[in-house]
Formats: sequence, C-alpha cells, structure tokens
Amino acid sequence: MPTGAKSYFELMQWGPNGWLDEMVFATGLTLIVALTGFLLGLVFGGIAAAGRMSGHRLLERVSITYTTILRGVPDLLVIYLFYFGGSAIVTAIGNKLGYDGFIGVPGFVAGTLAIGLVSGAYQSEVIRGSFLAMPSGEIEAARAFGMSGLTLVRRIVGPQVLRYAVPGLGNIWQLVLKEAALVAVVGLAVHWAGIKIGDVVLIHETRFSDLLRQAHVAAGSTRQPFPFYITCAAFYLALTTLSTWLFRRAEAWARRGMRGS
Amino acid sequence: MKLARYLLAAAVATASLAATADAQTRKVKIATEGAYAPWNFTNSQGKLEGFELDLGAELCKRAKFDCEFLAQDWDGIIPSLTAKKYDAIMAGMNITPKRMETLAFTQPYAGGPHGFMTLKSSPLAKLPTGNYNLSKDLASAEKAIDGLKDQFKGKVIGVQGSTTNSAFAEKYFKGVAEIREYKTTEQHDLDLAAGRIDAAVMAHTAATATIDGPNGKEMMIAGPAFRGGILGLGVAVGLRKDDADLKKAFDDAITAAIADGTIKTLTIKWFKIDLTPQS
Repeated sequence: MPTGAKSYFELMQWGPNGWLDEMVFATGLTLIVALTGFLLGLVFGGIAAAGRMSGHRLLERVSITYTTILRGVPDLLVIYLFYFGGSAIVTAIGNKLGYDGFIGVPGFVAGTLAIGLVSGAYQSEVIRGSFLAMPSGEIEAARAFGMSGLTLVRRIVGPQVLRYAVPGLGNIWQLVLKEAALVAVVGLAVHWAGIKIGDVVLIHETRFSDLLRQAHVAAGSTRQPFPFYITCAAFYLALTTLSTWLFRRAEAWARRGMRGS
Repeated sequence: MKLARYLLAAAVATASLAATADAQTRKVKIATEGAYAPWNFTNSQGKLEGFELDLGAELCKRAKFDCEFLAQDWDGIIPSLTAKKYDAIMAGMNITPKRMETLAFTQPYAGGPHGFMTLKSSPLAKLPTGNYNLSKDLASAEKAIDGLKDQFKGKVIGVQGSTTNSAFAEKYFKGVAEIREYKTTEQHDLDLAAGRIDAAVMAHTAATATIDGPNGKEMMIAGPAFRGGILGLGVAVGLRKDDADLKKAFDDAITAAIADGTIKTLTIKWFKIDLTPQS
C-alpha cells in the first residue's frame, strides 16, 4: 500500500518504479486496437456500401439492416455480445463436436471485431456518400474505354471515392480511437516479458491494459487519480492531434489534382 | 516490428486466458479488479498485490488449488464469471441480495465496519461514537441512529450508488438529510473536500485509505461504527451457482483461515485494523 502522496514526476518515472512505461505501452495497445478495428471497419464498410448500391434487392436489404442495427445500439453492447455470446456459441459448437469444456473467444479478437463492425456501419455510409458525390460521367467514360469490374473499381471508383471519403473517415477514426477504451471490459491485458540485451534490461517485464483502463488501474492502486487521468488525457490528445494532422495531409494529397485545392 | 511484437504478446496473453488444463490439482482462475487499493491493486511493475492476493494464495494452498489471479474491469467481472472466463471473484465484493440472484457466495472472509466520514471542521465531527451490529442487536443500533438524526437535519450525505452504504443511507436518513449518489467513492471524497456534501457514508477501510491519502488531511471518521444487516454480510468469494465443489472448498479454507488467525494477520497488514468477519 503506497503511503503518502508522491509527486507527479515520481509517479511518472520510466521503469520498474514508475508508471510512465506502462502508460506509453497502454497508448500503443489502444492504437493497435483502434487501428485494427478501423481497418476491419473499412472492409466491412466497403462491402456494405457495395451491397447497398449493387441494385440487388436482397444485398441491399442486408446492408441496410446491418448499418441500421449497428449504428443504433450502444457499442458496449456489441462488445458484450461478441465476447460473452461468442464464447457461448463457440463452446456450444465445440461440445457438439465432442469437446467438453469452455472455449474462449480471445478478448482482442472479440473487441476489435466488435469495433470493426460498429465503425464499418458508419464507414459504409461515408463511402456511399462519396460514391454518390462522384460524377456518374466518370463511370460512363471508363465504361466507354472498355473498363469493367475490378479494373473500373481499382482505377476510377476506388481512388475517387477515397478522395471524397477522407474527411469523413478521419472523423470516424477519432471516434474509433476513443471507442477502443471500451475493450477494457473484455479484460484485454498484455503481459510483456520486456527486452534484455545480455544483462542490460532495456524494458523491464510488465503488464498493461488499454490507455483508459491503465489510468484507472494506476489511479486506484496509488489512490492518486489526477496525475494519471491528466496524463491519459494528454496521451489521447497527442494521438488525436497527430491523426488530425495525418488525415489533413492525406486529404491534401487526395485532392492534389482538384481545382481550388 | 514493434507492432508485431505487441500483437504477439496480446495473442499470447489472451491465448493463456483461454487455455484450460485438467491436472490432478484443480486450476482455479480468480478475477480481481486490480485497482482497489489496498484490497487488490497493481504495482508500478504491473504485478497484482493486496490483501486479496495474499489471502487468495493462502486459501488456494489450503484447498490444494492451482490458482491464478487475473485483472478484469469491474464492469465486466460478473458476466465474465458466468460466461466461465473465470471460476471465482475476489475483488472486495460484498454479499448483497441483488448479487445473490446471479452468484453464489462463500462465507465472508472480511467484514469491516461502516460509518461516516466528514471534515474535521464540520459540526458532524463531534458525533457520539459507538459500535453497533444491525444483525445482532437491531433495536439498539436503530436507537443510536435515531439519536443522530437531529444533527443530520438539512445536511447532505454522499454515497456510492448501488452499494450497501447507499441502501443504509436511504433507509435511515431519507427525508432527514439530502442523499446524493456518486458513481465512485473517489467522487464523493472530492465533493466532501469541496464542501458540497457534509458527510459520506462508507466502509471504514475506504475512509481510512482516503484519510491516509494525499487529499485526506482535513478528513476524519466520525460517529458510530455499524455493521451487519442492511450493510451486508461482508466481503466474500463470488462463484457460479452450480459450482458447489468450489464453494465447499473455499468455505472450509476460510473457516480454517479465520480459526488460526491468518485473516486477522493479513487484514492488520493491509488495513491496519482487524477485519475478521464477526458471525
């Protein structure tokens, strides 16, 4: 039990005596969870948007149902369903096949899949909007050149849709980054053996969670909440500021051939 | 490459969570919050520590279990147990009727008094003291509470919501004082320091931790100590309802640890007071 208050700099030391290393690794974990969820979302969103605009009755319906449900229920609920429900289903299937016992869905898989599905529902709307913003003459011209199928998507539709989609996707990325904190409920924690060169310990062995839970754990363990929550906020802001800058550059790059840019 | 290493570590960590083994000694996975000092917390090297870690090791030695403690966010702790991610919960969890709808509890392994925390400068600081058990002698406890009501008239009491403390405050001080609910004890501590509430109803252990902490210099425990009855039966191991073997083994181990003074020694080590449950 820590007795007495420690100063901010004592608490935020790098190494076994302080929490800075755990906080930095936790930021990395949050980034990985968010990035995986976002990229999965791009895939789901792309598929859903394609389905929505396919002109096929059933695919359209499926896609509308997906975006309506996943945008309409709390994200936390989706994570719960995947993590607890997913394990129950996998175990039931396992038991049918003759394996008795519990089979867990790993927290990382359940968490990122849930974030991917939710952000995919939002991303599909952004992608659809971008597609509609694209002048239809572009596709007609490409068809006139003899392009079809994947070539048309790769050369004409893909690049232009992305160009219009970048600002909207940047917005969703910021949401995903904060949503990544929700995976704390699935008990996502990383045990890292550290890095050693000979006898020199570069990074000592430790255990950490995502950024928000890490701050909560440190706050509850030291009974000094403010230093950790403030640091946590600063790290989140650093992540979002950096990504705003990156998306702005991506936007400028995507619009490089357009008038008035 | 760093990314790959993180992912690998994450995969290994989660894979070890999912792994099951059936050796001759039963493997028991115990969930704890890891953020509730001094019951259970995490040190700056990422290791779990605290009263429940020490006690859990003792109980598992007695029951001949191969135990592993895992940190889990409080919000997901009960569903994780029922989904069989873990086999037991040791996380400062009080036995309450609501939780007993979903969980089975062992006998309590710790049961501390509850009471009021206030500012040293407050008129409530001079409340009469005493020690009352609501299970054993409800009449004299309620008489003592009635005696306090005059001093609490028009005051504001802070409590953590959905706890035995909030149930106690609602039952005895509703209509006398204004009762304000908070999500965490930290929050009512901050509001007590800021003067927005006059007192907090809380476990003495939590109050002591606050008073010993960086913001506790102006605070003190005042008035009588209460336990039992509506304040709950104490802190116990939470288990799945169908896990009767585990309940029996833990119950026996707790009985032995109470009898030989292990719980007394450990609670004095971590809380500076004896929290051995009083039946």
